[in-house]
Amino acid sequence: MTEEVLTPETSGNDNPVLWVARPMATAARQFLKSLIRPSTIVYPFERLEDPKFREEVQVAAGKPIGVGAVWDNYRGVHALNIATCISCNLCSFSCPDLCIEMVAVPGGNPKHPKKCPQIDYGKCSYCGFCSDACPEGCLSMTTRYELSVTKRSEMVYSPQKLFEVFERKLPMNPIRLERPANEDAILLDAPLCIGCNACARDCPTQCITMMDIPKPEAPAGAKLPRRIWKEPVVNDSDCVRCGTCISVCPKECLFWGTRT
Amino acid sequence: MSEMWINMGPQHPMTHGLWNLRVRIDGELILDVDPEMGYLHRGIEKISEDRHYNEVVTLMDRTCYVAGMAWEHLYILGAEKALHITPPERAEYIRTMSEEFQRIASHIMWYAAFVQDLGLMSPFLYGMRDRDLLLDLFQSYTGARMTYEYMRVGGVRNDLPHGFSDRARKVLDWLMERFKEYDQLCMGSDIFRRRCDGLGVLSAQDCIDFGVTGPMLRSAGVARDLRKDRPYSVYGRVDFDVARATTADVTGRYLVRMEEMRQSVRILRQVLDWLDRNPGPVMAENLPRWLGAPYAPIGREGYLLKREYPKGVGFAAIEEPHGEAAVYVVNEGGEHPYRVKFRSPVYVNLSAARKYLVGYHVADIPPIMGSVDVCVGESDR
Repeated sequence: MTEEVLTPETSGNDNPVLWVARPMATAARQFLKSLIRPSTIVYPFERLEDPKFREEVQVAAGKPIGVGAVWDNYRGVHALNIATCISCNLCSFSCPDLCIEMVAVPGGNPKHPKKCPQIDYGKCSYCGFCSDACPEGCLSMTTRYELSVTKRSEMVYSPQKLFEVFERKLPMNPIRLERPANEDAILLDAPLCIGCNACARDCPTQCITMMDIPKPEAPAGAKLPRRIWKEPVVNDSDCVRCGTCISVCPKECLFWGTRT
Repeated sequence: MSEMWINMGPQHPMTHGLWNLRVRIDGELILDVDPEMGYLHRGIEKISEDRHYNEVVTLMDRTCYVAGMAWEHLYILGAEKALHITPPERAEYIRTMSEEFQRIASHIMWYAAFVQDLGLMSPFLYGMRDRDLLLDLFQSYTGARMTYEYMRVGGVRNDLPHGFSDRARKVLDWLMERFKEYDQLCMGSDIFRRRCDGLGVLSAQDCIDFGVTGPMLRSAGVARDLRKDRPYSVYGRVDFDVARATTADVTGRYLVRMEEMRQSVRILRQVLDWLDRNPGPVMAENLPRWLGAPYAPIGREGYLLKREYPKGVGFAAIEEPHGEAAVYVVNEGGEHPYRVKFRSPVYVNLSAARKYLVGYHVADIPPIMGSVDVCVGESDR
């Protein structure tokens, strides 16, 4: 054991007054400093994100860094750009607290309405997985942090309300993650497919096209399966890997895998 | 004088959370104590079994709310072993840096709460003020002040922002000045010393018998530190000393924690230098897609049945600010861990309360329990 053993200084038997006076002097020094530059701010009237707190000179009590300078990537209330949302469900899938629900927004085809995330802030843990997962960058987190409401139902932010946050043009989290290089692709278990078009219909990016396949000759004494002679072909560069096609497939013939 | 049991807690300023200390007293003398824990049990181990590997990280921040980064690091180390993933070197350094910042923040939080137990208000305010700078630093690269959700299986979420290391160095310089002030306020005060010296003695042999770890063990003269004894991450490559005292009492624990903060600053300076010199990726390449990194996990149960999953188990132990924490992750294949088990140092340290409380006076309980550094969220999980 090479480390030194810590031993407390011997107590001040020599001059007990000094042992009480020294800490008091330290506290008094801090008190005088705080008279000139207080450590706190007057919150509702001043805010940490104000530009004046970004400068070191303004920082209270000689603090070495400006508090507001680190504010930009704060994870607060989400902003949703409804116009670019493709209803891919990725935010809802990735939410650990299951607080995101996809609800219909007005406009568009009433039979197949566009669905956008609705966030229940009573459950949200502000982990940011949803904005990390968003392939279009339309759901991102802003610096807004004030959420007090009078009714619990007001904690549920509808897509329109999230869009209002977006329209305020608050600073948004600048960190965007890159997609991994080895993304899995959607593969087809061809013998199971019935060509029903469900995947192509529900694909948020329309990257699935139904291609005709040749109808085989029926073997002697056996019937061909009843199906539409088409198969989905996925355009990997447009695919956002949301898995909607896998979840809507009635025959479970689509699956994740590495394209060879 | 008749004996009686009194309840200190579950709502008592001494407890720092929800737990109950039943004390049998005769006048002012403590005859027996019985710590009762479990008021804050949230079933984190069970919830983890129903979450994707990366989603468990959100629970780790809530396990111990003053040492979230340390618990994230612990879980990620275990999960990576279970999933056979090696993170890039830069990610390891960033994790080490995060854990050391968290250690300073946690110890400052301990200092603030501990001196307030003794009735000293000014050091509490100074401590909270200084911890705020560390929270600002955390916010500048993770985006949150206490619930970071920063580490991922295979690396960390994002790289450090521009100008981070300069800011961090300024904070470290400033904190070193503040540590001197803390010592002037506490060690320099005769009142503080008379309140703390010789209290709550737990000898080295008792510590080892009960499994007590962390600053309590080191204050008894045992130089046991997992960062030194079983280096994980990059602790084998940085230079630091293990703080150690021999008094085994409240003053000793104070000294050990103060010295640990200085050693953390020493580690941080080396790690920041390395990070400045070596840019690189912060996320492992060729992660399995279903792991969802850096993206969030994709697909709920049932969608991904046709996959082949690796299997494995992972055990990791780290020196958390409160003591030695360990995790055991069982990966039976699939998107969720089969079982996650944590060892909380606070639970063990509290369980030995009978050994270091009996024989002292009722007024000694706040300083003694304060010196244990209780975090109930962590002990009850």
